[in-house]
Amino acid sequence: MFFLRTLSHTINLHPSYFGPHMREFLMRNLHADVEGTCSGRIGFIISVLNITNISPGKVLPNSGLAEFIVQYQAIVFKPYKGEVVDAIVTSVNQIGFFADVGPLQVFVAQKLMPNDFKFDSNGPCYRGDDQTIEKNGQVRLKIVGLKHQATQINAVGTIKEDYLGQIQ
Amino acid sequence: MSSHRGPHRGVIEEEDATTLKLGEGYEESACLFISEVKILLEATQRPNTSEVYQKTVNYVNQFNRFTNADVVREVRKGMNEEPIRTILKGFELTQLANLCCEEAEEAKALVPSLANKIDDDALQNFLNTILDLKKFQT
Repeated sequence: MFFLRTLSHTINLHPSYFGPHMREFLMRNLHADVEGTCSGRIGFIISVLNITNISPGKVLPNSGLAEFIVQYQAIVFKPYKGEVVDAIVTSVNQIGFFADVGPLQVFVAQKLMPNDFKFDSNGPCYRGDDQTIEKNGQVRLKIVGLKHQATQINAVGTIKEDYLGQIQ
Repeated sequence: MSSHRGPHRGVIEEEDATTLKLGEGYEESACLFISEVKILLEATQRPNTSEVYQKTVNYVNQFNRFTNADVVREVRKGMNEEPIRTILKGFELTQLANLCCEEAEEAKALVPSLANKIDDDALQNFLNTILDLKKFQT
């Protein structure tokens, strides 16, 4: 699910940036620091929309750097266990297929597909009675498991339920 | 990997869409459906080459259900109408707008948290408003 979230980020600014364009530097630093990052708690930060507040800078003893706490609104993508999502198939192999839900990669193993799905190495694709899952196709799947790593989230999905599978 | 798990790990695994446990800071955050994300991303005209950004743009372009901004606004208005907005949570309404189900039964299968909250007729009504908007958009 995509969210509009208010988050905060701490930036340490080098004294050479102090001056009339400080706000711009802070914005550029914020974009570079947070956009495209991913964590288990927050999810994927896709794009910063606007900055709601910048705290007064506090000069840190010893280093001379100034610390700013920036509050901003961002588009965030966070996947949940049990959520049904549409996905784009990116690769198909003998053990299952991979699909992308925005920034998230989901793996669907063959045992989590309906029993009539068979692997076909011409394509390659999976063929069921009235469905074909092949590269660049669209599928509707349910996320059944998530693995949170430091800078990555991996998901396992299923299409072995009613109303899931290829999107016609 | 060791079988010992840190205490924070258990907290993360508790999150579950079927019971609407969305995690710290997310229960009160606004959910966005795919077409809204597309509009917001197009409005921020800033070069962004990160893989996360590119993949998201590709995804929202493929699954964009509502083609113009007015229809998107109408869908959001439909979600904010009484009584549906007090019965269902934003997360559920947004899922319905993303999935565009045709039948109430299908919606309840895909979004299990709906099961005991709303009767089929009221849900079907809401689905029809979304489907009509989708059908007659230009």
